Amino acid sequence: MDMPGGAFEGESHRPAQSYWNESWERLRANRIGVAAGVLLLVFALIALAAPLFSQFVTHFDPTRQHLLDNFRPPGRPYLLGTDELGRDTLTRLIYGGRVTLGVAFLTVALSLSLGSTVGLLAGYYGGWLDDVLMRIVDVFLAIPAIFLFILMSILFRPNAITLAAIIASVGWGGVARLVRGEVLSVKQRDFILAARTIGARDVRVIFRHLLPNVLPVLIVAASLGVGQIILIEAALDFLGLGIQPPTPSWGNMLTNAESYFFHSTWLVVFPGITIFLTVLASNIFGNAVRDAFDPRLK
Amino acid sequence: MAAPLLDVQDLRTVFATKEGVVKAVDGVSFHLDAGETLGIVGESGCGKSVTAMSIMRLQRPGRVTGGKVLFKGRDLIQASEQEMREIRGKEISMIFQDPMTSFNPVFRTGWQVAEPLVLHKGLNRMKAMAEAVGLLGRVGIPAPAARARDYPHQFSGGMRQRAMIAMGLTTAPSVLIADEPTTALDVTIQAQILDLLRHVNKEFGTATILITHNLGVVAGMCERVMVMYAGKVVESGPTTDVFAHPKHPYTWSLLRSIPRLDDELHEPLRAIEGLPPSLVELPGGCAFHPRCSFMVDRCTKDIPSLNPVGETQLAACWVTQSGTELAHG
Amino acid sequence: MAEAARAHLKRAWTTSDPLLSARGLTVWFPVSSGLLQRTSAHVHAVDGVDLEIMQGETVGLVGESGCGKSTLGRTLIRLIDPTAGTIEFRGEDITHLRGEALRAKRREMAMIFQDPYSSLDPRQTVGDIIGEPIDIFGLAKGRERQDRIYELLGVVGMNPRFADRYPHEFSGGQRQRIGIARALAAEPSLIICDEPISALDVSIQAQIINLLERLQSKFELTYLFIAHDLSVVKHISDRVAVMYLGKIVETAPGRELYSHPRHPYTDSLLSAIPIPDPLVERGRERTILQGDVASPVNPPSGCRFRTRCPRAREQCADHEPPLDSFGPDHQAACFFPLD
Repeated sequence: MDMPGGAFEGESHRPAQSYWNESWERLRANRIGVAAGVLLLVFALIALAAPLFSQFVTHFDPTRQHLLDNFRPPGRPYLLGTDELGRDTLTRLIYGGRVTLGVAFLTVALSLSLGSTVGLLAGYYGGWLDDVLMRIVDVFLAIPAIFLFILMSILFRPNAITLAAIIASVGWGGVARLVRGEVLSVKQRDFILAARTIGARDVRVIFRHLLPNVLPVLIVAASLGVGQIILIEAALDFLGLGIQPPTPSWGNMLTNAESYFFHSTWLVVFPGITIFLTVLASNIFGNAVRDAFDPRLK
Repeated sequence: MAAPLLDVQDLRTVFATKEGVVKAVDGVSFHLDAGETLGIVGESGCGKSVTAMSIMRLQRPGRVTGGKVLFKGRDLIQASEQEMREIRGKEISMIFQDPMTSFNPVFRTGWQVAEPLVLHKGLNRMKAMAEAVGLLGRVGIPAPAARARDYPHQFSGGMRQRAMIAMGLTTAPSVLIADEPTTALDVTIQAQILDLLRHVNKEFGTATILITHNLGVVAGMCERVMVMYAGKVVESGPTTDVFAHPKHPYTWSLLRSIPRLDDELHEPLRAIEGLPPSLVELPGGCAFHPRCSFMVDRCTKDIPSLNPVGETQLAACWVTQSGTELAHG
Repeated sequence: MAEAARAHLKRAWTTSDPLLSARGLTVWFPVSSGLLQRTSAHVHAVDGVDLEIMQGETVGLVGESGCGKSTLGRTLIRLIDPTAGTIEFRGEDITHLRGEALRAKRREMAMIFQDPYSSLDPRQTVGDIIGEPIDIFGLAKGRERQDRIYELLGVVGMNPRFADRYPHEFSGGQRQRIGIARALAAEPSLIICDEPISALDVSIQAQIINLLERLQSKFELTYLFIAHDLSVVKHISDRVAVMYLGKIVETAPGRELYSHPRHPYTDSLLSAIPIPDPLVERGRERTILQGDVASPVNPPSGCRFRTRCPRAREQCADHEPPLDSFGPDHQAACFFPLD
């Protein structure tokens, strides 16, 4: 049916609006999405400023034990209580955020970099390169993640960075597939052919035309990915394959508190709620970003 | 004179969009007599498709905000959804530009043609299929019994369009609305389909509304024609008269701007300057005035009403209504 | 009168050697099927086409879907690699050109696309879109580059202010103008126009046709105008080539094609095109073809049109008709041509 919106001809009197601007406007209009994004940002900032918080707000060190004050419920001076070794929960949550969020963002950065490079090349060049790259991706996707994790944690002592690398090594395949699909779709559009027609080299076509049009998909994947990685990290901690104590992470705090669930429920509740809120915010924000970029709304 | 089969009076349909309210159909009136072929012609955004959808009450997400659509004396706008379901596909059929999306890809074509017979005429499956096969043959599909067992994607564009026409005719409707039925087809296939539509109109006596942007198609197919611009009817009348002496500057300019196969001399085309208006920010007065070479002051202020100009035509133009002839703009 | 003036202008920059010529040009696309994705057949998109385009000419290429006209247009400027045959540009063989040598030629050959909505990168400003050829070939920088972009916008009838805007803010016709400005940016000699007005509203089509004709005189351009609407092609072209299933079946100057078509396909094509004049339309004698276009994967033997041709006889299945001459610039491939 011929929608009347198609007759929007004539001069635009508004100032020039790029696609990014329009998407940003749409995102801003989504209140809940913005709130979720702000929450993520706040958590990230607090985690970054962990030493400051420790010094000025909580006055505790995350690994310092106060054995006489163990199992304290939330109150003063331990705002969120203490664990079995008398360590302040709030401070540990903040420092744990550093680790957990750090792993999440780093993993996303690694898997997106590798995955999008492979996806771009495979999608743009096609042919044998596509076949080879995608078979490699298939191999990685077929490896049971748990097996890889166990192997890796035997070989290395997992710290935040190696953990990020390990999780990324499992996840980049999905990103590659996603990017390749998007590239195949964008490649069909005439402006890519037009770029070749005017003499652009492959590098220019890929970076100037293909990548900016594929970016929205990456941004959405990144937003949703943060939440996914947090859950994976928590699961790994639970299995003992993740961050080792005494370094706090949200996941291992949760694991640690498992034995004390009935005794000191708050030790489970606080890390649990933190993880829950963060993952929820990541999902909401990711969906909001996807809606903001939706080409149908253009 | 008998009452018209379909009488549309002052139909109004609007769409709510981010930029504002769009008056897609803004006071459209016309009639269709039994057995005749009426062409509705105009460019994208003029409202011709929305008019047809509104008649069928399929205009959502738009809303009909006014007017009447009298079909055999009954106002379809006031009819209930149940009543409309009785009419759609049975008394008023519609065929579309893209036959691929009108067919369900998971069912065989023959069954899709037969389905209206089961639904509306209460025939049993076998009888309905037999009639469907017969119809497929009558619309010119070779080996219809075999082809009825094929799925839509196995048909070529032209054959699918024929099958869609068959589907539209199963219940011998009084009105067939064809919305750009040949736009997506190659020109030699288009000729076949138009030939078929002409044949259908003669043999079945079905009144046809042909919606298109192609003036050549209208010239060959329609007894009467109605020209739309920005949601309104700007001109209507017998096709021969409208083409010979158009009474609205838009029709006049459009006819002069199209390259014709039988053009003799090569001269630059007399293009209509400017762009079609934004339906959200319509110019004051006559919507065509910014592009009109005959414009006078009144055109910027008052919206012209559709009135008789000449013996057989109606035109919504102050200039021609006041007696001025359109020549050499 | 007008015709004579045009002819005079054309001669001012016309040379006797063709700007672009193709001999035996063939483009086959493999079709793979089966478990191991073996090539089972080929789509004969273009099959042994000879075409010459003289400098300053507009050659129209017309045909229905599947005839290969778009493929031919793209192969001529090496966006697609030919399977066989040769292409010469200004006398130089460009059939197997690759890499930098091919890119250098790209400056001379430009293209305008059918879909104004997908042929412009939505992430770039109009100015950057038009300026990209200038950047690629390093033709101008800074202030000079900006001036050139403004000039190009003006030449296609758009306000230079629009250089900062994005494509989605414009209508189909305006986007097409932007595409034309981009095509002109590197000062090409040849422009392949691939259905440039099919996606536009009728009232805008005439504007763009007039613009293309004005630009041809102003910049001494040569056009290959590909379209399925013969009325438009006849209007804008000096010569028209009719394609069917990968072959050129007839070539003639526009008016002669209309008044004396020789090939039965041309005749049925002309007969099928509606003329916006009821009196003429209703009085016309129609040659309506039966059936559908055959598949380019398995084209009929001999003359490909014979399965739909009202004049076909046995001979047509056994041999492929060669292109016979019917006058200066008029050729048709048929054993039983019309008189």
